[in-house]
Amino acid sequence: MSDALSQPMASDAGQGGDDQGSMPLLQLESIIKRFGGLAAVDNLSFSLHKGEILGVIGPNGAGKSTMVDLVGGATTPTSGTIFYQGHNITRLSPHQRTHLGIARTFQIAQPFKGLDVRENVMVGALFGQQRLSRAQALRAADEVLERVNLAHKATFKGDQLTIADRKRLEIARALATEPQLLLLDEVMAGLTPVEVAQAVELIRQLNKMGVTVLVIEHIVSAIASVSNRVLVLHHGRKIAEDEPAQVLSDPRVIEAYLGERYARHRTQQSASGLPIAKDDQQLSGGES
Amino acid sequence: MSFGQVLVNWLLLGSLYGAVALGFSLVWGIMNIVNLAYGALIIVGAYTAFWLYTDLHIDPYLGIPLTMAVLFIIGWIIQYVVINRVIRAPMLVTFLLTFGLDLLIIDLVQQFFTSDLRSINTAYAGNGIDIGSTHIPLPSLIAAAIAILLTAALNFFLTRTRIGNAILATGMDRDAARLMGISIRHTYALTFAIGAALAGAAGALLSQLYPFDPSEGGTFTLRAFVIVVLGGLGTPWGVIAGGLVFGLAETVFPLIPGVGPGYDDAIAFAVLVLVLIFRPNGLLGKPFYS
Amino acid sequence: MATGTKTQTSPTTQAPPPKPKEGRGWLWSLLLGLLILGLVATVPFVGNAADLHNWTLIIMFAVLAQSWNFIGGFAGYSAFGNVVFFGIGAYTTGLILLANLPFWLGLIAGALVAGLFALLLGLPVLRLRGHYFAIATLGIAEAMREFVTVRDVGGGGGGLISLPLPSLDSYVLFFYAFLGLSLLCLLITVFLTRSRFGYALVAIRESEQAAEALGIPTYWHKVGVFVLSAVPAALAGGLYAYWATGFDPDTVFNVGISVEMVLLTFLGGAGTILGPLIGAIVFEYTSFQFQASGFTLHNTLLGLSIVIVTIFLPQGILRLIQEFARQPAPGERRANPFVEGVRRVRRFIAANGV
Repeated sequence: MSDALSQPMASDAGQGGDDQGSMPLLQLESIIKRFGGLAAVDNLSFSLHKGEILGVIGPNGAGKSTMVDLVGGATTPTSGTIFYQGHNITRLSPHQRTHLGIARTFQIAQPFKGLDVRENVMVGALFGQQRLSRAQALRAADEVLERVNLAHKATFKGDQLTIADRKRLEIARALATEPQLLLLDEVMAGLTPVEVAQAVELIRQLNKMGVTVLVIEHIVSAIASVSNRVLVLHHGRKIAEDEPAQVLSDPRVIEAYLGERYARHRTQQSASGLPIAKDDQQLSGGES
Repeated sequence: MSFGQVLVNWLLLGSLYGAVALGFSLVWGIMNIVNLAYGALIIVGAYTAFWLYTDLHIDPYLGIPLTMAVLFIIGWIIQYVVINRVIRAPMLVTFLLTFGLDLLIIDLVQQFFTSDLRSINTAYAGNGIDIGSTHIPLPSLIAAAIAILLTAALNFFLTRTRIGNAILATGMDRDAARLMGISIRHTYALTFAIGAALAGAAGALLSQLYPFDPSEGGTFTLRAFVIVVLGGLGTPWGVIAGGLVFGLAETVFPLIPGVGPGYDDAIAFAVLVLVLIFRPNGLLGKPFYS
Repeated sequence: MATGTKTQTSPTTQAPPPKPKEGRGWLWSLLLGLLILGLVATVPFVGNAADLHNWTLIIMFAVLAQSWNFIGGFAGYSAFGNVVFFGIGAYTTGLILLANLPFWLGLIAGALVAGLFALLLGLPVLRLRGHYFAIATLGIAEAMREFVTVRDVGGGGGGLISLPLPSLDSYVLFFYAFLGLSLLCLLITVFLTRSRFGYALVAIRESEQAAEALGIPTYWHKVGVFVLSAVPAALAGGLYAYWATGFDPDTVFNVGISVEMVLLTFLGGAGTILGPLIGAIVFEYTSFQFQASGFTLHNTLLGLSIVIVTIFLPQGILRLIQEFARQPAPGERRANPFVEGVRRVRRFIAANGV
């Protein structure tokens, strides 16, 4: 099923999209997902190029997690197609997509409680893309744990971890499958600012190693600082897709997050020449 | 067998099955408990009616309210003492637990009444109404009528009375109900007790129609399960619908040449698996309270 | 672009991380298991005929529990109808013996038929969610019992089978056959804890979604372990058939046996190596001691045990022992088991009750 996909590329895929091939790594075309009468994802189309970091933001209920489920394979779209490296993967099951190189984390971390951290990650290595022996898988797990800075807790049981550690374990497990595309579903929720910064740095490092990342987040400033592009979802639809700074000053985006009244209030303010209030800067990416 | 006869058999059987599954559906829908001891409760109902008839000479139809009362009390006790302790545990735990109860209850029944086959035969049991070549046995007819009556009564109770509404509310959103001042513990006890009472009624009805012994319990639980799956967990009438569909399968299947009677469990199982695979929301498409 | 703060390692300076040592727990469990089986192996020498009879059944139940542990303990899928494989093994072997074919052929045939049945049954049924799967498997056991009764498989009326007596002195052989089967199951269990397949099962149990997302084809693993759980049960059924020289559907397709398998596994500790074996020995031995009024009391005891285990002891004896035997963390006093026990029950009721 999977092509002979090799190790993650060496460091020339830095930040920014890799435009060598015109073929995007991931492409969603007119994806609709309905639950009963409600369209959680409504006619969504976008593409992601190799080496990019794409941030996805949007208010609660915008369809972000559904989108991750769709790309990861946990659910199938009502209509529309998903392409990965040019192949139509719409009907593939999650484990098949993992073998192609797509890995994901879960918003609510789901560690394997009966196993320790090391074994948790080892499972990812055992069943990811390559067929490893137990010894090889353990070594791979150790390497991954080093990279996410969890090695010192390798013998902890899954349920003895803090929230930040659980999130890191989620990432570590996904990494162990040697993905080309990593889907991070709100990994920063519940983290302290220091931990958020660490997560951002980790994402950068992974990207430098050649992993394409799609980050779903609530913490707008964090995502803005690390993404090449940002996609904004609202009621299941894409309402903006651009570079972070552009997106965050887009009035439609502000309106979606904070409501119509506030958006009007802000445009009035900027029109009257008054300085924009300090907390508004947070929304604009917190650029100091 | 004439078409009319098959039709009559089907309607009577289907309604009866509705009664059988009614209590099971209530407890599952409101409390999310699949009570594997349900069949045992039906058996207790049957034996209670039997005992009332043979020892106290109470006509079985008159004995139904008494039987229901007895089962109501038993259900309340079981709920309060045992089930309440594991309400929020994973479903496997309640499965295992209720199955354990099932074994216990059946064993106790066996100690008291032995494994001999029992049945109730009243003087008028052989009577019936004849329409053309179709014979409608009186006990079956009355049983079906009572089944419909119970369903309507339950529906009325749940939707039109305050207590019934409280039960429905608790089923929909336990925490919200609690915040509104409804005592969850009492509501659950009441729900389970009503479920047990309905099981008792079903048992009493069945005792006149078929011979029974303690080992029949498991079959009833399985059938109740299938009927509820068929009809969905939405309303009491859904149970009747499920009962009718299941009754259809049981009436028609043995008529296929070469099959013959006696495959009740196999039919139940086959129907169950088919429905769960192809229509996991039940035939009526009502969502489960899961 | 803002670069963010420089990443630091965890601020609290901890002692250098302990080099993760390969857990040797499995080896100890294996050795202990061999020891237990070895002790049981002395029964024909130190006990009388009644003891031999009882312990044969005890080990038979151990095999059933061990096989159930594969799917119920490791994969976390509670099959409530695994007795159906026991019965299939019994009837297949019985029919083969009635046809005057050799016993070992009957055993192999039983295992094959049961495995095939598990495969065909598992394909649709393992697509169902947890509790539907449980009821569906329960239903299949009932349905099978009914089918065999109605079709009078075995010809003795209602599915009864009467077999010729095996040669003299073979009760001891049967005992060792069951014991050997239990040993085989023990080895398989140990293998599961160390193998890819086993890790996949545990992952499925803990979080099927995450398992699937990590590349595990969960459906096929579930079907595979279902088939695996069928084979020892069928072999036990085949042995039982000849040992008992006669049986009927109510005995070998008895749903109570199904649930007993579940209970024994949970009593000892589901998902552990020794749990089912210990659970079987503890419960069945106790049950035999109570054997005053014969079989009927067995069910009451079973029912009661289920109630007790599910409310008070859901993690099983082994894990309970492990917890009390574990070195207390520095500063923690060693808990008084009784006090701790009561505290746990209270906590369980508080967590799960209304």
